[in-house]
Amino acid sequence: MGEVIHKRVKPLQVNPFKLSQPMGATLAFLGVDGCMPLMHGGQGCTSFTKVFFTRHFCEPIAIQTSAVTDAIAVLDGGDYSIVESVKNITKKVTPSLIGLLTTGLPETKGDDIRGVAAQIDYPLVYVNTPDYEGGFESGWALTCKAMIEQLVEPAGRADDNKLVLLPHISLTPIEVEKIKEFIEGFGFNVFALPDLSTSLDGHLGEKQAALSSGGIAVEDIRKLGEAGLVLSVGDSMQACAEALLKKSPEMRHHHFPHLQGFEATDSLAELLLTETGFSGPPLAVARWRQRLQDAMLDSHFSLGQSRFLVAAEPDQLTGICQALYDAGGKVTVAISSVDSPQLEKIIAETVLVGDLEDAEHLADDYDVIIGNFHCEAIAHRHHKGLVLRGFPNWEQVGNPLKNDALYEGGAYFLFECANTAMEMRGHH
Amino acid sequence: MASKPKIKELLDESSCAHNQTRKVACNAPTPGATTGGCAFEGAQISLFPYADAAHLVHGPMTCLGSSWETRATGTSYTGRDLTQMGFTTDININDVVFSGEEKVAASIDYIMTHYSPEAVFVYATCVTAMIGDDLDLLSKQAAERHGVPVVPVHAPGFVGSKNLGSRLGGEAVLTHLIGTKEPETTTPFDINLIGEYNVTGDMWQYTPLLEELGIRVLSTLSGDGRVAQIRTAHRAKLNVLVCAKSLVSLTRKMEERYGIPSIALSFYGQRDTSNGLLAIAEALGDAELIERTKQLIAREETKLTEKLKPYQTFFKGKKAVLNTGGNKTWSIAAALQDLGIEVVATAVKKATQDDREKARKTLGKNGVLMMNPGVEQAKIIDETGADLLLAGGRSLYTAIKKGIAFADVNQEKKKSYGGYEGLLNLAEDLKNALQNPVFKNVARRAPWEK
Repeated sequence: MGEVIHKRVKPLQVNPFKLSQPMGATLAFLGVDGCMPLMHGGQGCTSFTKVFFTRHFCEPIAIQTSAVTDAIAVLDGGDYSIVESVKNITKKVTPSLIGLLTTGLPETKGDDIRGVAAQIDYPLVYVNTPDYEGGFESGWALTCKAMIEQLVEPAGRADDNKLVLLPHISLTPIEVEKIKEFIEGFGFNVFALPDLSTSLDGHLGEKQAALSSGGIAVEDIRKLGEAGLVLSVGDSMQACAEALLKKSPEMRHHHFPHLQGFEATDSLAELLLTETGFSGPPLAVARWRQRLQDAMLDSHFSLGQSRFLVAAEPDQLTGICQALYDAGGKVTVAISSVDSPQLEKIIAETVLVGDLEDAEHLADDYDVIIGNFHCEAIAHRHHKGLVLRGFPNWEQVGNPLKNDALYEGGAYFLFECANTAMEMRGHH
Repeated sequence: MASKPKIKELLDESSCAHNQTRKVACNAPTPGATTGGCAFEGAQISLFPYADAAHLVHGPMTCLGSSWETRATGTSYTGRDLTQMGFTTDININDVVFSGEEKVAASIDYIMTHYSPEAVFVYATCVTAMIGDDLDLLSKQAAERHGVPVVPVHAPGFVGSKNLGSRLGGEAVLTHLIGTKEPETTTPFDINLIGEYNVTGDMWQYTPLLEELGIRVLSTLSGDGRVAQIRTAHRAKLNVLVCAKSLVSLTRKMEERYGIPSIALSFYGQRDTSNGLLAIAEALGDAELIERTKQLIAREETKLTEKLKPYQTFFKGKKAVLNTGGNKTWSIAAALQDLGIEVVATAVKKATQDDREKARKTLGKNGVLMMNPGVEQAKIIDETGADLLLAGGRSLYTAIKKGIAFADVNQEKKKSYGGYEGLLNLAEDLKNALQNPVFKNVARRAPWEK
């Protein structure tokens, strides 16, 4: 492991890939069935967020705004805007849950949303997510934690067949589904919180819903305390698991920093074997492990001569760097959107908290860039290979079905990286 | 603090046709029932296309993080295209408590050192307006330090809608840039293009024609724009307001201040393009120019008619239902008619009184103006046997149920539909939509549902 630079030296962000807490919070609420995320702030935050996700997922996005104006900002402590919003939303639709999240504006003036939430007689979860703190990943995690704290009923007895999965924000809908299926293969009844695998997986419904359609049911969230086991994936989700353990003294917790690549999937399989006492995994799992082994060998030649820059949220960054490392890919630069203690664990020559201007300045240090759609301009200007990952990806369709997780996704991921690197070398 | 525009005054625009009745576009938003962007986004839309200027957003991460590199506004600028770059102070809790002013000053210095733009626009946002960071003073000091215009843009999201933000953006340009420089030469046919952002190169569909006519685009706000040119805008003979009501305050003020008359037009579809070109020539008031323009229009229309023939044959007898808002309610309808498609209905729920009148005129007396398109459109498709639904993504399900072709009017378009040539792009896309079997195929029932 190489150098880790935790602090930015610039006064500003140039070509940022960092995203805000309210946006992460919104996405978490969209993993709950029949939810209406309600963003407390100016109307623009909501509009930007809605367009951002609509373009990324190619799906309609349910969200509303408390539409705070300059006059309201001075006069109101949130009571009026939020109560009025709930009234207006429920006039038209009947959400199973209203997900109230804040932005920088009401946080600056100190609105007491907990107090306002207490006045509202409707199923509602509130969370403080100012956009001048944290980032995309923490917004998602804080929201997940708030749902656990405010919805999950305390449980006395643990059901050993019931398992809670807490996925980090960068896991795609199909990745969440694959992880659930992997665990289900060992006989567990799995509930993911949040669960994008059935909401933003890109499915054609009967009609367009005005609320999130699919995701974990609110009733199921209330009963998560009955689970015997909770698995958190991504360091950002540790605090959520801890919050859940408080609801149920019997529950046991296992943590995975990520589920990308050979080693991480092996440790998940090992855990599930220990928990169940099974002698082996389902046949398909074993077969995919062999395929990943073969994929590592097939791609190692290309990966071994390629240098990568990866720009991502901390949890995804950790996973991608590990998966590349396993097959000989050299990550020369890993850029994280925000600071995190976890950066110390990332396998790369240099790890820094930065932006895409940094990526551009370091253009001599890598052959392939892995990151969001804003990386395309860099790849084009500096003739780099490009592997699109993370939010947003407005350049391609099919984002919800991109799978890098476990043995199966790991094989696809290595092939894509190796092929991109080879193609790039062929051109230059 | 003279640079902060009076918002009340901007909302009460005397040149707005709809001002007599009620302020349709200017009402306060309803909590929990509001869509559409904020003032900051409006300002960004109107100013970001200046590719030789840096655009520094002073705020937390949502404002810029979700919005940079979102609009395909083309530029011919040969330097680094700063429109497609994002600069933000990304304020943190410390800045909120102790002020972010130092960060603004240091950020401008950083930008000047590394990118040496022709100007820097500094955008206030909700949080930084609330904590009272003094962008006017910071901009003034930075301008003195660096010798380029540094323009504070006071359009924080919470002051209102996207439309108001565009006006505030125009206001900033009027206060800080227009009239600060003299053009090297002037011609009798100098115009400013106001409110044309050159999305997907829309503007390039007709600027070669203007050039051929001897009409010079002195400056733009702000498609393919340059800071040095907009600074000379006060010497133009005519302001041409392209499809943008939001900047009518700016053109009125330029008329008062500099005596520049203005006309409003659109370059969408054949009729609008021809009318627009002629309107510019007539407003410039030169008989020879008018004659030249008529000849050019005749030539272009003949050329286009020839190219459209195969499409018109294909579109013959085809009927469309249009469900969109604003000026699109009639401008797209007119373009469809140019292609030979019959527009049987258009939604006017989200249109101003003025747009509704234009829609009625465009569709004729038999056309249906839908006040409640969500409910009406399915029925109208059945009644008229429409072949094509042009609407936002939400209506896709209606099209699938009815088994007819669908085109998303709100989708980020990749190529221009503007001018004469753009009509061919639209024709091609609609032909592809009508020929695509996908809408019927996805409607197939699953074997286990039969």
